[in-house]
Amino acid sequence: MESFYRLPFNFVQCPNLKLKKPSWIRKPSNTTVLFGLLVSYFLVTAGVIYDIIVEPPSVGSTTDEYGHHKPVAFMPWRINGQYIMEGLAAAFMFTLGGLGFILLDQTNKPNMPRLNRVLMILCSFIFILVAYGATKIFIRIKMPSYLS
Amino acid sequence: MLLTYYFWIKAVKSGSIMWSASCALAYFYMVSSWGGYVFLINLIPLHVLALMFTGHFSHRVYVAYSTVYILGTILSMQIPFVGFQPVQSSEHMLAFGTFGLCQLFSFIEYVKSKLTKTQFDTLFSFALVTVGFAAAGAGVVLWASGKIAPWTGRFYALLDPSYAKNHIPIIASVSEHQPTAWSSFFFDFELLVFMFPVGIYYCFKELTDANIFIIMYGMTSIYFAGVMVRLMLVLAPVMCVLSGIGISSVLTTYMRNLDVNQLKKSVTSTAQSSTRARRNDDSSSYPRKNEIAFGVVCMMTFFLMTYVFHCTWVTSEAYSSPSIVLSARSGDGSRYIFDDFREAYWWLRYNTDEDAKVMSWWDYGYQITAMANRTILVDNNTWNNTHISRVGQAMSSTEDKAYEIMRELDVDYVLVIFGGLIGYSSDDINKFLWMVRIGGSTEKGAHIKESDYFTPQGEFRVDKSGSPTLLNCLMYKLSYYRFGETYTEQDKPPGYDRTRSVEIGNKNFELEKLEEAYTTEHWLVRI
Repeated sequence: MESFYRLPFNFVQCPNLKLKKPSWIRKPSNTTVLFGLLVSYFLVTAGVIYDIIVEPPSVGSTTDEYGHHKPVAFMPWRINGQYIMEGLAAAFMFTLGGLGFILLDQTNKPNMPRLNRVLMILCSFIFILVAYGATKIFIRIKMPSYLS
Repeated sequence: MLLTYYFWIKAVKSGSIMWSASCALAYFYMVSSWGGYVFLINLIPLHVLALMFTGHFSHRVYVAYSTVYILGTILSMQIPFVGFQPVQSSEHMLAFGTFGLCQLFSFIEYVKSKLTKTQFDTLFSFALVTVGFAAAGAGVVLWASGKIAPWTGRFYALLDPSYAKNHIPIIASVSEHQPTAWSSFFFDFELLVFMFPVGIYYCFKELTDANIFIIMYGMTSIYFAGVMVRLMLVLAPVMCVLSGIGISSVLTTYMRNLDVNQLKKSVTSTAQSSTRARRNDDSSSYPRKNEIAFGVVCMMTFFLMTYVFHCTWVTSEAYSSPSIVLSARSGDGSRYIFDDFREAYWWLRYNTDEDAKVMSWWDYGYQITAMANRTILVDNNTWNNTHISRVGQAMSSTEDKAYEIMRELDVDYVLVIFGGLIGYSSDDINKFLWMVRIGGSTEKGAHIKESDYFTPQGEFRVDKSGSPTLLNCLMYKLSYYRFGETYTEQDKPPGYDRTRSVEIGNKNFELEKLEEAYTTEHWLVRI
């Protein structure tokens, strides 16, 4: 049996290599992966793919009655249209809200100095409420007939 | 799709063949209904690979995946449209490769448990040199000779979104295939866009096999929903699942902190017992635990209630109207109905020959076939790119050239949608650039160049400064015939197009080769 398994090595000789997996390649930790996923969530909900394909301007512009150009932040009335800045702003709000809830969960750890806990709770409430309120305002600016 | 995933999770958790077989049956149901089954047959192997990388691969996963793959593939090949694709096309190769990898993995584990280390090493190096190289060589030969088909256009466009825009205008022109903007996400999901990362966070807190699956499903579907707005429907179930995980975890954590007796006491008692209640907070490091928990629960309840209001409003406003009956609110708030589509189709049904052929853009093909019961040239299911391109060429050419094409295609009637009288923005003039692009994409239409239809400054205009090619093409003439004498708005000259908000450039022309058969009440459909 041994001679059968040694057969290919009569024709092929393994080179004398010393290969080692580089020490800096490690399995990423849970928090690293979560952070990466949050970044990709931010990019996708910002409509980055929309920006790449459709190439909208960064902000829009209108001319008022005196002929002055005024910038327009939100592309009005189109549900599936955006300017680059409004996409980024909205995605920032989404991620902020998510982070607020994640922070809210972290506040329940048992051993934490009082100041840290109070600050964390305060921060998480601010994040959540600001994110929710801002997003509602954004969609109201974009579509004045929202919820009417 | 959800049934398949449910059975898959059950199979992975239990390792039983019954659940795996049910998963394969549900997969068969999915294959027979939608081309999106490709997503399933790639997500399940990806999940198995992820389990291998994180060290969660066990005999249960092995049994589940082997059963699902074999039974599922055999069943899916019963569908004529799928045929032999599972062994020939690249979209299914990941599943095939993972199947082989599963077998190898388990075999290696089995052999390792039976042999000593040196024996195993010899066997492993032998196998790698002979069988490994042979398999790799066979794979390369198959791929290079084209036996393994590369990714088809519509799925490749998901991996490389700019591919459709540059190479296949028909796929790029469908408005459902456009990438997604932030407002689509918020409009369809509201509260869930905030809770999605929270659900992922809670899944990461304890990584079981099922949680890994949900995380992968969530991340892949959010990417695909970002590429194509139509795939929002693949994202919706997993959004709900992950948000549900998030909301329920938040509420569970904070309900545990809530002690209702303490709250009642502090409300109904005097100042002295309320200070006693305050001192009862379990450690000074967590002040006002009760009040904060109460606040969080109230906040979640408020969010969930506004979510319900949002959902009912969106469904009633955006997702409840039939697409061919339009409505608008007049000045005093009452609803005004535009029933022009059905009016035109019924006119076609009762006033034309039974074997009359109608040429229109492919969006209206199914509607004409179903309601007017007449033969059409192209509809939503037409795969023949050249045929659609011919129709596009006819619409973009001058009347004489278009007449030749129409005679060649044996057309009796031409139907166009025109929104200039009422301000309807999804009419054929707004879609016209796509007709030009698609018309110019085949060799017979090589003389049609998109830039000819723009002004020298690069704008698409239908007024006096519009390009002469545009102002004389068939689509323009059919849409604006007799429109030059029509008054549409007060203080505006005749021939004012309310959709483009300009006065049209080419008025008072006569049609030489065609004649007007019918125009509906609001000029929406013109035959």
